[in-house]
Amino acid sequence: MSTSTPDTEDSGRIERWVTRAIYRPERLYRVLFYVAVFGFLFGTLFPFYWLFVIAVTPRELLGTVGLTPQAFHWQSFVEVFEVVPFHMYVANSIMLAFGTTAIVLVVASLAGYVFGRLEFPGRRPLLLVVLAISYFPPAAFFVPLYRLFAGNISLFGISSPNVLNTPAALLPPFTALFMPLAIFILTTFYAQIPDGLEDAARIEGTTRLGALVRVIIPLSAPGVATVAVLTFIYVYNEFFFSFLMTTGEYTDWSPLVYGIRNYQTQYTQLYNLMGAASLIGVLPVAILVAFAQEKIVSGLTAGALKE
Amino acid sequence: MARLTLDHVTKRYGDVVAVDDLSLDITDGEFITLVGPSGCGKSTTIEIVAGLTDATEGSVHIGDRNVTTLPPKDRGVAMVFQNIALFPHMSVFKNVSFGLRLRDYETAEIERRVDRAMEIVQLGGMGDRKPEELSGGQRQRVAIARAIVRNPDVFLMDEPLANLDATLRTHMRTELQRLHKQLDTTVMYVTHDQAEAMTMSDRIAVINDGTIQQFAPPLTCYNEPRNLFVAGFIGSPGMNLFDGTATADGFNSAAVSVSFDHSSDIPHKITLGVRPEDAYLAGSNRAERLSAPSTAINAVVDVIEPMGDEMLVYLLCSDEAAADAESVQLLVSVPPETDVEVDESVQVVFDRSRVHLFETASGAAITHGLDTEITPDTDRP
Repeated sequence: MSTSTPDTEDSGRIERWVTRAIYRPERLYRVLFYVAVFGFLFGTLFPFYWLFVIAVTPRELLGTVGLTPQAFHWQSFVEVFEVVPFHMYVANSIMLAFGTTAIVLVVASLAGYVFGRLEFPGRRPLLLVVLAISYFPPAAFFVPLYRLFAGNISLFGISSPNVLNTPAALLPPFTALFMPLAIFILTTFYAQIPDGLEDAARIEGTTRLGALVRVIIPLSAPGVATVAVLTFIYVYNEFFFSFLMTTGEYTDWSPLVYGIRNYQTQYTQLYNLMGAASLIGVLPVAILVAFAQEKIVSGLTAGALKE
Repeated sequence: MARLTLDHVTKRYGDVVAVDDLSLDITDGEFITLVGPSGCGKSTTIEIVAGLTDATEGSVHIGDRNVTTLPPKDRGVAMVFQNIALFPHMSVFKNVSFGLRLRDYETAEIERRVDRAMEIVQLGGMGDRKPEELSGGQRQRVAIARAIVRNPDVFLMDEPLANLDATLRTHMRTELQRLHKQLDTTVMYVTHDQAEAMTMSDRIAVINDGTIQQFAPPLTCYNEPRNLFVAGFIGSPGMNLFDGTATADGFNSAAVSVSFDHSSDIPHKITLGVRPEDAYLAGSNRAERLSAPSTAINAVVDVIEPMGDEMLVYLLCSDEAAADAESVQLLVSVPPETDVEVDESVQVVFDRSRVHLFETASGAAITHGLDTEITPDTDRP
């Protein structure tokens, strides 16, 4: 805006627009809302589109991938399973994810009950210590864990068993890393269940554990579903520990992401198969989230429970 | 059905004593009420009986079993809570049958018992509803059905009517009495509402500061309160209490004096208590009928509260000799048609046979009624 010509049409239009935005901001808010939503949607969905474009591009055209597919080579989605036994990697990931989720739910439920519903000295400091574990980068735990799982640590002359390439080397770091968040979420949920309900269950004939299983957990279903799905997705997508603790063979419990990496060899880089495999790999999680969505949304946002 | 005994039960939270050496012996089939102001330890006591809180010292017996260390589920008690505590994720049927299903009863037996319990609380056919679909009174009845379905030895009720509105509360009060008559189970009931305690119980345990002040039938607590706390807590509106001294010819305080003969060993500092319905306006029909009225007390009408069946008159009595003396409030209950006006000067007489004397320092009752010869109460706490 030039001060020497304040009456030009341009400055007048901008001033009018600014004045309106200040006194009647609803329209501006709506515009900003759509900008934010579309920006976010583009950021999330474009990679999938891009993966799809790469996946259907024949190998010989991979050097010149554009924004639109140059050919429709759907056979990539079949070759994925022929080049590498990709379904076995998916199966490994699903089993590891289910195993971790089960352990996390059981242990975090017990811990959540204790932190959320019992009064004892040192409760808050202890909860903070548990949470502090999640502040460390996962890499910090790798070297000692690797030595332990490789059988290089001995106590009283007995060396630890070599459990590399088995779930025993993968489940402990997975569960340990996700446990603090799970405990924190479940603590908040279990603390909200009115004491009267637990008392009533105990008088009617359950133990404390029975009251947890029959009353507190069912009433905290959104929280439990949130923890379960977040854990599942985290393990399903995990790469760091599984890459270092396994050989990369599906018989050695290597998971999905390692499987995708196997399309890259010393001389070939099958980007189209990687793209296709990534899209296929997303499916189980997409299905899971679609089913659990309602519970997760209510779990992440509200968690309020009326008695 | 069983006798319930609390033997020297104490509960401490750190330095705070919630329940202090409390003993109670409740006979089989009796309806007793623990009543007291909030924080007096009555809820802690019922939780100790239920097993939800562990006693620091002392023991609890139900029937001939020592249940002090048993978990709640093995004590043979059922409880109705203030916040009702129905499981919101279960249907009414599942709520009521919860305890039976945990104990592996046969399906037919469960259905028979639940049906009967639901009939007793007059909610037959509501089994499929969820608690959220019921009204407050219906929920409370489901909670009661859940409690009676297991035939417990002892019923525990922790302020079960506190969350209901006034009309429903009065109604449920009658229902609970009917239920108790029908089932004949031992009931321990907790409330802060002395009217509930008075109307429902066989005996009332008045509790303050974690100790029992009096454990007696309601009318005994009302007519012969053992100490100042019971006198002030039981009865609504409360008893008029005047602090004063014992002189040669009776009770003496700045505004109120009542003459009586007494032996020499009553304490010097005493408190006189008289219920609003035992004080009369001088000259009224009722006052004329008194066989031994006290000397008239001069007072000025301060506030009048017509209640319909009676009229509450708040009077200010003051010592005429000392003009600057603080005036003392005296509440008198009079027939509704009585002709009094605010600021009118009146005279009041007490029914001497219904006047109570307490030792001011300890609060212990000295006597109830001034016609009998005054001798110190042998049964003092």
